[in-house]
Amino acid sequence: MKETPQESKIIARMQAGVITLNGFLGSDTRHLHEIIAEDAKVLSALGTSQSEIADRMQYFSDASFESYDTPVFIEDNYEVETDVVRGKLPCPFSHAGLYRKTLTTLHNRANGISVRWTALSIHMIREHGFFEGIGSPFRLDPQKLYKALFT
Amino acid sequence: MIIQIAKDILITCGISAFLAFILTLAQKYLNNYGICKIDINGKRSIDVEGGSSLLNSLTDKQVFLPSACGGRGSCGTCKCKVVSGGGPVLPTEKPFLSSTELSNGIRLSCQVKIKSDIRIDIPEAIFNIRKYRAVVHEILDYTYDIKGITFKMIEPGQIDFKTGQYVQLETKPYGKVKQKTVRAYSISSKPQEKDRVQLIIRLVPEGICTTWVHNHLQVGDEVNITGPYGDFYLRDTKADIIFVAGGSGKAPIKSMLEDLQVVGTTRKMTYFFGARDVKDLYLTEEMYAYEKVFDDFKYEPVLSHCSPECQWDGKRGYVMPYFKDAIIDPKNTEAYLCGSPGMINAVTKGLKELGVPADKIYFDSFG
Repeated sequence: MKETPQESKIIARMQAGVITLNGFLGSDTRHLHEIIAEDAKVLSALGTSQSEIADRMQYFSDASFESYDTPVFIEDNYEVETDVVRGKLPCPFSHAGLYRKTLTTLHNRANGISVRWTALSIHMIREHGFFEGIGSPFRLDPQKLYKALFT
Repeated sequence: MIIQIAKDILITCGISAFLAFILTLAQKYLNNYGICKIDINGKRSIDVEGGSSLLNSLTDKQVFLPSACGGRGSCGTCKCKVVSGGGPVLPTEKPFLSSTELSNGIRLSCQVKIKSDIRIDIPEAIFNIRKYRAVVHEILDYTYDIKGITFKMIEPGQIDFKTGQYVQLETKPYGKVKQKTVRAYSISSKPQEKDRVQLIIRLVPEGICTTWVHNHLQVGDEVNITGPYGDFYLRDTKADIIFVAGGSGKAPIKSMLEDLQVVGTTRKMTYFFGARDVKDLYLTEEMYAYEKVFDDFKYEPVLSHCSPECQWDGKRGYVMPYFKDAIIDPKNTEAYLCGSPGMINAVTKGLKELGVPADKIYFDSFG
């Protein structure tokens, strides 16, 4: 598939050192639209959607936002903590708005799975279906994320 | 056949070159806006070459609006009021502006192109903002992820700031980072030392600037700094004070205490420093030492995540439950908070419940 000028611009913004130190694509050799399309297939097979995943992530981030420096326990199984540092990040897709530098860490005590995400991760999943490339520091494998959030 | 192809290529190249030439001429003469006037606050007028952004035009004239993204329209911090001129609000600005701001003529200066005379209103304090060339004088390791870096000013040689204000530090390209990046940090030194500023910087995962500071910056390196910015500063009153900080939020409070040591005060002050664990505490001896400097000062570090086995005899949990012992006259108490928004929200709620007026709670929430 041919790359549009808009895609080229987005991919340029996802490179290491532009918005974040190591970028959003990691060592993934697939094209951006392939990464998004293949993750969308996984969501479809799981019977979920990017908005359902994003809503659940937002729920955990919100629930732990004011419990700074200490994890909160939600719905018995989930140990969640959100750390916030100074500053905000723009969306590499040039979507409007800025996203606080938050880091939410969730540990599912029932199945032992731990995942972490940022405010920007939630936005990119909800609006762009983008879970980041394989090897990216904040890549969220959709299957693992689903298991962590819903089981 | 080959000659014909060569001819066609030459003709195509010729036409392209001609069109490029026409385009350059059009750019030069049709987009020539000439010299435009920027009227600032109705008090000062500066002449600039038209065609550039308002942000860049002001920067060229040493008027520095805050900007974290270098004018790329992605941070939304370079707001100013455009009274007249400036053209219509662009779609790139709207996401950053509230309906009140839009109706009050607030614009993103990086998105406003100067095509004719323009009148703007900006806070007077902006005129005190300068770009400084500075050299790294000292780097101290405060914790495993927090450093204190002192910069000595080279040109201009002195900086005037209020305690609690911040500066913007410009990184140089390094490793995978091919462009300069600008990030804001609170000043942690006292304003009486005009030839230097100290910043307290925590290493942020994936942070472009903090990684540069922690892993690449060396004593003797030259950097660019702009500032001072911000309206989080110590009010000159006689009210009691509650300071609350966490992590690198200690920076502005340190500056305030160092300043008060110089100017002198008899105000009742309590400083709560929230940290996770013993390893997150720093400058502890220095802060306790202020209990001997001031008439009525108490330093209260509180650990939220300290295991029962850890070597800690001090307070545990959140800072809020300890406020009631420190606040004697809530109506006559000011609070200065610096830390994560979660901490600011929780602490503000706690202070209000004890009767501290909302308009006396000042904070810097890592914005």
